[in-house]
Amino acid sequence: MPRPVKRALPLALLCTAVATALGACGSSGGNSGTGATADTGAGGHRGGTLTILTSQDVASLDPGSAYASLDLNVLAATQRTLYAYKPTDPTNISPDLAAGPPQISPDGKTLTVKIRSGVRFSPPVNREVTSRDVAYAIERGFNPHVASPYASTYYGDVVGADRATGGPIAGIQTPDDHTIVFKLSRPTASLVAQATVLPLSAPVPPEYAKPLDAKAPSTYGNHVVATGPYMLTADRSGTVLGTGYVPGRSLSFVRNPNWSATSDGRPAYVDAIQVRIGGSTTVAGRQVLAGRGLVLADSPTPELVKQAYLHNRSQIFFSPGGGSNYAALNTTIPPFDNANLRKAVAAELDRQQMRTVRGGAVVGDIASHFLYPGVIGFEQAGGEQGTGADFLANPAGDRALAARYMKAAGYPSGRYTGGQMLQIVGLAGAPDSNDAQIFEQALQDLGFKTNLKLVDSSVMYARFCGLPKARVQACPNVGWIRDFADPQTVLDVAFNGNDIAPENNPNWPQLNDTAIDDAMSRAELTVGTQARASAWGAIDRQITATAAAIPWLWDRQPNIFSADVRCVPELWNQGHCDFAYSSLK
Amino acid sequence: MLWGIVLLALVSLLTFVIFYVLPSADPAQLRAGRDASPATLHQIRVSLGLNRPLPAQYWTYVTHLVFHADLGYSYFSGASVGSLLIDRLPATISLTLGAVVVWLLVAVPLGVISAVRRGTWVDKLTTGGALLGVSAPVYWLGLVALYLFADDIGKWPLLPGAGSYVPFTDNPGKWFASLILPWLVLASTFAAVYARLLRGNMIEVLSEDYVRTARAKGLSERRVVWRHGLRAAVTPLVTLAGLDIGLLLGGAVLTETVFDIPGIGRLNYDAIIHADYPVIQGTVLLAACFVIVANIVVDVGYAYLDPRVRAA
Amino acid sequence: MSAADAAGAVLSVEDLRVGFDTRDGLVQAVDGVSFAVAPGRTLGIVGESGSGKTVAATTAMGLSRGPRVRVSGRVLLDGEDLLDAAPQRLRALRGDAIAMVFQDPLSALHPLLRVGAQIGEAVRAHRPGVSRAAARARAVELLEWVAIPNAGQRVDAYPHELSGGMRQRAMIAMALANEPRVLIADEPTTALDVTVQAQILALLRRLRDELGMAMVLITHDLGVVAETADEVAVMYAGRIVEQSPAGELFAAPRHPYTWGLLRSMPRVDAPAGAALVPIPGRPPSLIHPPSGCRFHPRCPYVRERHRSEDPALEPLPDAPGHRVACLLPEAERRVAWARLATGATPAQARAAIEPAGEEGRV
Repeated sequence: MPRPVKRALPLALLCTAVATALGACGSSGGNSGTGATADTGAGGHRGGTLTILTSQDVASLDPGSAYASLDLNVLAATQRTLYAYKPTDPTNISPDLAAGPPQISPDGKTLTVKIRSGVRFSPPVNREVTSRDVAYAIERGFNPHVASPYASTYYGDVVGADRATGGPIAGIQTPDDHTIVFKLSRPTASLVAQATVLPLSAPVPPEYAKPLDAKAPSTYGNHVVATGPYMLTADRSGTVLGTGYVPGRSLSFVRNPNWSATSDGRPAYVDAIQVRIGGSTTVAGRQVLAGRGLVLADSPTPELVKQAYLHNRSQIFFSPGGGSNYAALNTTIPPFDNANLRKAVAAELDRQQMRTVRGGAVVGDIASHFLYPGVIGFEQAGGEQGTGADFLANPAGDRALAARYMKAAGYPSGRYTGGQMLQIVGLAGAPDSNDAQIFEQALQDLGFKTNLKLVDSSVMYARFCGLPKARVQACPNVGWIRDFADPQTVLDVAFNGNDIAPENNPNWPQLNDTAIDDAMSRAELTVGTQARASAWGAIDRQITATAAAIPWLWDRQPNIFSADVRCVPELWNQGHCDFAYSSLK
Repeated sequence: MLWGIVLLALVSLLTFVIFYVLPSADPAQLRAGRDASPATLHQIRVSLGLNRPLPAQYWTYVTHLVFHADLGYSYFSGASVGSLLIDRLPATISLTLGAVVVWLLVAVPLGVISAVRRGTWVDKLTTGGALLGVSAPVYWLGLVALYLFADDIGKWPLLPGAGSYVPFTDNPGKWFASLILPWLVLASTFAAVYARLLRGNMIEVLSEDYVRTARAKGLSERRVVWRHGLRAAVTPLVTLAGLDIGLLLGGAVLTETVFDIPGIGRLNYDAIIHADYPVIQGTVLLAACFVIVANIVVDVGYAYLDPRVRAA
Repeated sequence: MSAADAAGAVLSVEDLRVGFDTRDGLVQAVDGVSFAVAPGRTLGIVGESGSGKTVAATTAMGLSRGPRVRVSGRVLLDGEDLLDAAPQRLRALRGDAIAMVFQDPLSALHPLLRVGAQIGEAVRAHRPGVSRAAARARAVELLEWVAIPNAGQRVDAYPHELSGGMRQRAMIAMALANEPRVLIADEPTTALDVTVQAQILALLRRLRDELGMAMVLITHDLGVVAETADEVAVMYAGRIVEQSPAGELFAAPRHPYTWGLLRSMPRVDAPAGAALVPIPGRPPSLIHPPSGCRFHPRCPYVRERHRSEDPALEPLPDAPGHRVACLLPEAERRVAWARLATGATPAQARAAIEPAGEEGRV
């Protein structure tokens, strides 16, 4: 999914204050010496209440429609999906509700999952979870009243899904209470198996949810039941709205009385979780750093990161694999329909400076392709070394090479002499606007005439970069966060020519390369993690070689928490502290 | 009264038009996420009723409001708008009324004293303080207040910090303590303005003939200043306070954000972020109601305070 | 000093000087004024605006105190010097022993307080034991005393609800609430219609007689003075230029300014067809008053030495109660007035007293 707006440190704050011996400025150091390390949570204390401070409300409590990282963080404590990521392994799925690894038929068209016994719904449903509940959970994703953003994307190949509107789907079969079988029209079972980490596969009791799903829109989210170690406090009928969830004010979680530790690997140390919604990040961050038992769910402001990094080093964690940032160049209109011009811009751009203005090495790694750390296929695409593309070889840029590409593009002087005025649209607010300006400067250094517009995030996507008819030449502040570890979720929607849409277009460069599209069609149908890693890794190299977009940063998302909190970060979800693994010291 | 209803109708129509005509976020898109297919987007629009023609949507809203007292349901949380407003109103009322008391208690003596002792250090101090109060942004002032006095992050932990608000019915002591800093911060700008305003009025009034008459009657200077002078000078302040109360009851979003007070202002702000149209409409109409009522009260109050107006 | 001074004067002003420090200089509003009033008698003070008459009155009441005010002289109320008195003492006397009525009752009464409350306040300020109910009853009594009909209801009225005449009566009632020994009335009828004026003046005379109080009546209107005053003082540029019993002032005025005032108003006893003659020029600056005789720039009869010599207020040889500050010889003044009284113009009067040829021509 497209990345939300993030904030990070301005240069001056970090690099002058921190000793260069740490090597924190300008080099891509590892995680040592830069904050807390990823904690597995083993051996934590039982008891206490974890309090989360957030200035933004959760968007959805319904596992069928949730997609934001805070929502996923909250749902991870209450919903058990077929498969899930352990906090410290964001790449390989582990069985959660499933009893064992996914069974994929050799032709890749059948996925069979055995479900554990002894998992029960929270009150008022109380009964044991069956495969029918998982089937209903996925089927309801196709119900217009639920309108899951993922159902058709990842379960669209299930037989009968194309005609699904919330009723039973032929391709989802439940031969017995603990077995669920997906019959697919194409060999995409590996992808579907991984897609089950999304909350959509968390079981939903049909007899309880159907009346709620009949309303438009569905109200299941306000009456949601849990299968995980915690549940939202609810009244006797299961209504959480007003008790467990007060919109804009709070969320309250208590232990799920029907959860049994033996059927789950989660330690579930804390007794209760309180989420306090409201206030401002600035104040909340300070309260977290100075207080006890608090976690900040917001992305901390640059001042907070600086303060934590300098004075509360053990209370800040920079989570790798936060997402990618790249500059999309419009390949359908001049001048960037010319590949050599694109490569010239890529060679000219100083990606190191782009990172420095965001705070230097702690905030991330210089990107050299589009799959980022934690995503399957990252190594196969070149890993940290890069794909070998010459125009991305030097993170600080390569002027001479840029000039050569300009000449190859037909501008012997090394500077653009055409009359085209370039419309660039970036994000308002530091440091994103600083990055946009660095990008604009690179273009101007090559002789382009530019007009830079800085706008709000939703406007940038909805009215400019995601709208082909707006005819924007470059969007330097776009980026992507994976839906799950499979590389298809990072590359397909973002670079497949078949996905170009007249509005809400996610393929911002509007790349429409037949060879790449064909490779993607084949890779979609590849079975097996290793094979997929190779296939998509190769596609990443191909996409990178077109220079349709210039990757410049792989994020590390900072998270802060109180001194007495043992935060176990979800490396698969922006480093949010996982409620079911974290504990109080 | 009738005029008030017409005004409310106009406000609701204007809010409706602004939301759809001017560029803002699309609630369906926010719900669906950015990589949702057009088909999914359409499904969400249908279930929210957003695909119907605009006049039809507006008509439905108005008829529900007028005939069923139904303000609709939040696109974001599904909670009824009425329940959200009722939930948030006590905090806003607490914040507003407390701040009014504080700023009047500060402004009236300061205004009178700086007028009576014009040019002395008291006057200069008041003027300087007023300048500070007016120029300091409320948000910044709130942050400074917290960084100095909040018991969790302040340098001199004295008073409860952000997020400590509890409803009066839960714990009156904690309710009061949690509102002290917000009251002071919110009152600061108003106190400054009102003190200066009163000072100006008092200087004028004290040079009026009837003040001379009062002195000629041999009244004590204190009685002359407070009963004769202030009585005449305070009328514009009272009407202004009435209007300001009406405005503040619509929500003081900056103060509510800094101190994490769950009021109408923050509700409105969150609704705008989420493109939660029914809640936006609800908060705007509520705010408009307060302003209209405040205007009526002020008119009545003015006639009560100044008998000359009654004749007219 | 007038005839009614040392003996029995209840209010005695001696050489009062009042100056205001302004940015442009010291404004000497009152420059050596002396007068006295006995119980039951009325002194009329006449002059143009800017002559210092109101300032003299308010200073007497102690209302002019302030950082920029320079006062010297004495104001004796029953022998006690008000200018020397402590503020507490002054407050006790104001509204009790000495009271003042102001020009425009609509602005002089508090617009937001009921008339009865304002009167009651005056009572309770000086009689602390009086209850609110008693004060209100007294207010009704006072309103009846000043002949306001329906006093029982009018007591709760606001000033703007009363007519001009009734307002002035109410203000008079308020001033007289504690039966003062001295009443100063500053232009009490100027803001009223002519018919109402007469009523108010009659009222003032009646009240003065009933209380036996001394009254100072300040006005620019000679007609008012003629009706009500026993004695008149004419002020110009902060000084008294002529002072005499009322009748004598009208019959035999001796100062060119007084002549100017009399000739500029219509008189029943003037010859028919005689033109009204206004006094030329404007009142002088009180910061830089004219040298010599202050009236000389506007005087039709000015002589050379009047520009340098400042006349003192001297009694007439044959009428010690009548004093004038003028350098013209008495005999010439008599001649000039005789001419003017029959309708001659100032130019003609001047010609009558001018020594043939030589000095004086301006």
